[in-house]
Amino acid sequence: MNLLKYSFVLVGAMVWGQGLDFSGRTNQPAGLDLSGTWYPQPLQDSGLITASGALVEYGGIPVNEAGRLYALAWSAARIQGRQHQCMGYTIPYTYNQPGNLRFWEERDPHTQRLLSIKHYWQISEGERTIWMDDRPHPAAYAQHTWAGFSTGKFEGNALTVYTTHLKRGWIRSNGLAQSDEATVTEHFIRHGDRITYLSVVNDPVYLAEPFSRAYTLMRNAKEPDAWLYACDDGEQILGRREDRVESYDWGRHPFLREFADSKHIPLLATLGGPETMYPEILAKLKDQQAMEAAATAELTPSAGPPHASRAADPNPHDGEIHVLPVQGNLYMLVGDGGNIAVQIGDQAPLVVNSGAGQLTDKVVAAIRKLTDKPIQFIVNTNFGADYTGGNVKLRAAGHDPSVEGSFFSGQFADAGNGATIIGHQNVQNHLLALKKPSEGIPSDTFFQGRRRKFHNGEAVEIFYEPGATTDSDTIVHFRRSDVIATGDLFSSTSYPAIDVKNGGSIQGEIAALNYILDRTVYQHDEEGGTLIIPGHGRLCDEWEMAEYRDMLVIIRDRVQGLIKNGATLEKVKAARVTADYDDRFGATSGPWTTDMFVEAVYTGLKNPPKTGNGN
Amino acid sequence: MPYTPIRTRLALAASLALVSATGVQGQGRGGRGGPPEPPKTARAGALYDITGYWVSVVTEDWRFRMVTPPKGDYTGVALNEAGRKFADAWDPAKDEAAGEQCKSYGAPNLMRVPGRLHITWQDDQTLKIESDAGQQTRVLHFASADDQGSGWQGFSKALWEMVPVGRGITPVGSLKVVTTHLKPGYLRKNGVPYSANATLTEYFDRVNEPNGDAYLVITTTVEDPVYLAQPFLTASHFRKQPDAKSWNPAPCSAR
Repeated sequence: MNLLKYSFVLVGAMVWGQGLDFSGRTNQPAGLDLSGTWYPQPLQDSGLITASGALVEYGGIPVNEAGRLYALAWSAARIQGRQHQCMGYTIPYTYNQPGNLRFWEERDPHTQRLLSIKHYWQISEGERTIWMDDRPHPAAYAQHTWAGFSTGKFEGNALTVYTTHLKRGWIRSNGLAQSDEATVTEHFIRHGDRITYLSVVNDPVYLAEPFSRAYTLMRNAKEPDAWLYACDDGEQILGRREDRVESYDWGRHPFLREFADSKHIPLLATLGGPETMYPEILAKLKDQQAMEAAATAELTPSAGPPHASRAADPNPHDGEIHVLPVQGNLYMLVGDGGNIAVQIGDQAPLVVNSGAGQLTDKVVAAIRKLTDKPIQFIVNTNFGADYTGGNVKLRAAGHDPSVEGSFFSGQFADAGNGATIIGHQNVQNHLLALKKPSEGIPSDTFFQGRRRKFHNGEAVEIFYEPGATTDSDTIVHFRRSDVIATGDLFSSTSYPAIDVKNGGSIQGEIAALNYILDRTVYQHDEEGGTLIIPGHGRLCDEWEMAEYRDMLVIIRDRVQGLIKNGATLEKVKAARVTADYDDRFGATSGPWTTDMFVEAVYTGLKNPPKTGNGN
Repeated sequence: MPYTPIRTRLALAASLALVSATGVQGQGRGGRGGPPEPPKTARAGALYDITGYWVSVVTEDWRFRMVTPPKGDYTGVALNEAGRKFADAWDPAKDEAAGEQCKSYGAPNLMRVPGRLHITWQDDQTLKIESDAGQQTRVLHFASADDQGSGWQGFSKALWEMVPVGRGITPVGSLKVVTTHLKPGYLRKNGVPYSANATLTEYFDRVNEPNGDAYLVITTTVEDPVYLAQPFLTASHFRKQPDAKSWNPAPCSAR
């Protein structure tokens, strides 16, 4: 036997005798490898497969008032809306779907350390990554997705996963919404060919308590051949108006008792709420009269003032400017009032809005880190102080070579000095009326339709959206980067600040959002593709704007209905027409309260503006 | 000096390194005594603590658990023909007259009944699970027992089932319980049956939440050659309670 063979015999003997192992330091118990193909065990909650359940089947779900009212207003006809047809599945809803699931590991090719656990699910062709390398979660102003951002660790015999940055999804697709503020903890415990899965959803917007649920995934006996889920949106109802969003008036749900009656369940129990999860509800259900009264009270908003938003503020408020790469040539700068969009490329930067002007030096410094070229163009999407406050300093930090040496430039002593500010003529008019310094007022204006540029290698279109939040709103579409900066028309943090006195109206706002939605294209199942930089809040996509549009249409229709019945503004406010959205977008103090928004909607509907969409 | 191929030199180096490392590791663990001795009792070897008070969180199969489903509604249970026939004949009045109100409180369904559990170590080799709903007691035997049971709760054999892990990693696994010798009862309150031949296999796992909550997750398989065409699989969970404050003993109910 040669030396080599002796060596292996010696090593083998040592391994055998001493129980030496080669498991390394991953802390991953061998029995916890989830790799392979699985499917949700369909017998538990079998009536819920596809997870929808019946209308008004909320028992055992700890919804709060806003969550219940959202569901009671929800009509299944909304699924036919263009942006809703291909809605993706969120976590943990995806584990209720009837299709196949696949888990696999991704390892560093050089060290073989576990980087992530990947997961693909058939329905909606979703994919998620569970990062196992201790990386931090993204900033609050980053984009949300159906799968969210997940980090995992092995704890005992479980893989524990924590997920943030989810889009608004379903608890059940019968109208029980999970908000985009929800976070989810999941525990995967493997028992042979079965994974026990416990998810705990914390949702400050729609849940009164954490929603925990245990269920089972089963290993596929053989590799399934069904992995795809074709979906393409299209018109489901010919002639349907874009500003039509079906919903039920509270207290008039046509199928309110259908599930309760068919299953012999008291209505109160089917309306959900934290008490329906616990044994104590059984005693409550014995008093028929009290139960009916309690159920009736849950069908409409409770009396009292509107709720303030429970959503976390995505703005860091730390006195710094934060830079978020969007896609293509675009960056989003957060921290100084309204969001600032920055386009860079071969030419000088084009900037959309200038912020509140409190941190403009830091804005300039942040842009200089992106490019050494001075700012060439600043576009103001309206005249609001949150969007134009930094105009003077930002302009001074720039330079516009396109107006130097032209036919007319000789007539202006300062031609090329500073960036050129572009805006609708009404932005100029308003800022002049407000006696703002001339250096901070758009000098390059337009009146209707669109202003076009080809800059930094892509088409840039500035569209006028008349009578939306004001009479001066525009959006900016970066066509190759596929990014739209909306200015004040869209916010992920509040109801739109409709300034009726300055030409704004709910009708114009809805028309503007639909105009934007006509320009957006999703990449896959209402995700990716065109990204949207809102005036305030986090980076969004088409689906989130569609949900915002739906909200405004539903609120508009409620107010309109009350006006038709002769309601005064006070009565409209008392009806809490925004009760299902206040926990997400409402405000009871600050510059734009829910009461102010409702008043703006009411006023706009009582005295409709005469202007139409100029596009 | 004779030439030694590089492959051979690498193997030698690896051998020496392993011998050295093994020696160090062995000494560090107290010499050449082999693997550490297993704990002497189930209590000493418990992988996690499931004792205390727990409340059921009824968010799965809610309409079958929180209210009594109508007769003949056995959705989600793969009954065979005999099982369906039995379920279709459910008569709670008959059960009451026979003093058998506890038929849906047997081990295969007890963990699905809305209520609270009180789990304690009866002794070092025996866990006891009491329910306030139906006032039942399950006894989980880690060691062999003379009494093989035959009541609603049958006879439960328990073990800490370990998941293979590497050396130096804290042992992990689950509490596995297999229950047999059951008195025939109901998988659901509306007379969905299991027979005396049924076998119940359960895993009791504990997980902890970042906010301090703890959950007991019970993964259940009921196999019954008499009434089931397929195993009946469920997963139920309970949240840890700080005390016995809401403990509310109530007798079995057939309706």
